[in-house]
Amino acid sequence: MMNTPTAQGSEAAVTSAAQAHSEIVSGQTKSVAASLPMRVAIIGAGHGGTALLDGLHQIGTVEIVGIADRNPSAPGLTRAHELNVPVYDRVADLIQHRDHHLVMDVTGDPTMESVLHEQVPVGTAILSGQASRLLWTLVQHESLLQAELLHAEKLAGIGSFAAGIAHDMNNPLQLILGLAENLIDETDLDAVHTQARDIIEAVKRTSAICRDLTSYSRRGSLNQDSLISINSKLDEALKIARYAVALQDIEIRKRYQPDVVVKGNPDELLHVFVNLITNAVQAMADQGTLTLETAVTTGATQVRVSDTGCGIPSELLDRIFEPFFTTKPPGSGTGLGLYNIKSVIHHMNGTIAVESQVGRGSTFTLTFPSGSASGERSARP
Amino acid sequence: MNEFKSGFFVGGGQCNGRVLVVDDEPDIRKVVRMTLQKAGYDVLEAENGAKAIETINSGENRLLLDVMICDIRMPKVNGIEAIAYFRENYPRVPLIVLTGFPDTDMATSLLHQGVVDYLVKPVEGEKLKASVARAMEQRELAHL
Repeated sequence: MMNTPTAQGSEAAVTSAAQAHSEIVSGQTKSVAASLPMRVAIIGAGHGGTALLDGLHQIGTVEIVGIADRNPSAPGLTRAHELNVPVYDRVADLIQHRDHHLVMDVTGDPTMESVLHEQVPVGTAILSGQASRLLWTLVQHESLLQAELLHAEKLAGIGSFAAGIAHDMNNPLQLILGLAENLIDETDLDAVHTQARDIIEAVKRTSAICRDLTSYSRRGSLNQDSLISINSKLDEALKIARYAVALQDIEIRKRYQPDVVVKGNPDELLHVFVNLITNAVQAMADQGTLTLETAVTTGATQVRVSDTGCGIPSELLDRIFEPFFTTKPPGSGTGLGLYNIKSVIHHMNGTIAVESQVGRGSTFTLTFPSGSASGERSARP
Repeated sequence: MNEFKSGFFVGGGQCNGRVLVVDDEPDIRKVVRMTLQKAGYDVLEAENGAKAIETINSGENRLLLDVMICDIRMPKVNGIEAIAYFRENYPRVPLIVLTGFPDTDMATSLLHQGVVDYLVKPVEGEKLKASVARAMEQRELAHL
């Protein structure tokens, strides 16, 4: 179903002698080091500006130096605040900076082009009009494709839930059937009442499974701006993950700081947590300790998912977030799990890092800066 | 309980045999017990494979346990491990798998290993009783 980053089995064990300790933070791609980022200014914070912010923000080789809009309630300005992108209410204040390479005008205002040509410093490229519109349409399209990819990967993963679902549904069904058969010739009225109540409870348990799964399998909520309680989302993810992996022999340690919240899409974050937990349990071959931690530190909210599994060889660490990279045999994993996780986290202006020791286990750390993903409820209006 | 002898050893009577039900779900153990007790079996319970092994190795069960009904997905020692142990150490005790997950490959493999039946929950009482009766026949033949 999803990318298991941990090279399972003997390969990992062989390299354990080295006890390599490695760490990598996603998004720090090799190309970033190889070239300076392209510095881009965005004029217009409507749908186009918002799409550009969201799209360009995820590209390591692009730096958004600022966004300007005369309308203080333009949606892109809110998003810019979340992403720590400087906001200007006067176009002139932004474009008079001399350190950007490109000014992108997505205002749709036909007079803006001439204003820009007058004021933008020589040497800075200008993209406006239909060309600019085409670009933000492409960025928006890519964002939709990414959402589709996330959903497809989620649905592919649900296939591996079959054993867990069958177990959790057929057990209450066995109880219902057995009790109903017994009721046919049960003469003790008290026993009849007790067994009827047991049947009702079993039916409720069965329907809860359907409710959990239909909620999980739905397309990501359109609401990108929900405040999400991290602790309860991790608990919800545990409930879902137990369909995919056997948790009965896993010791689960929860180290939750109370009232930890981040802002983002709750369905996508649930998917992230389900994937991380499932990967962790698979890395432990269903036996070990899973630790879930949440914490708010100065300026950041952190979530840690740790396992005591086989670990990830250091030579694979910088590849695990690549699309289609998987250590599973063909047909067993999409190789999109961690890639999608990284996309979701970046969209929330967060980062994901992994520390791993072969033979000892792995820790995935998600970090959300408090400015964009409020670590405290009071930080939100 | 200590004076109980399985149906095979006492040649029938009100007790048809002693059955060990191994399942981590108390509800399943309860309902299987209910069905089999009505059919005249003495029913023992274990919540996982480790407890099942402990049960058969304790007291008279070593000799008098007739049939084991075993789930697959359980904590500690799972069904596959428990079945392997029983086949190795108590090859004359017939085994019935009662699982929530229909897995053809696993069913084939277990039947090859000599498991009497691979039942998928929810299973009707009559079918369960018929399966246990078949296992009891096998148990008796093993002693001939």
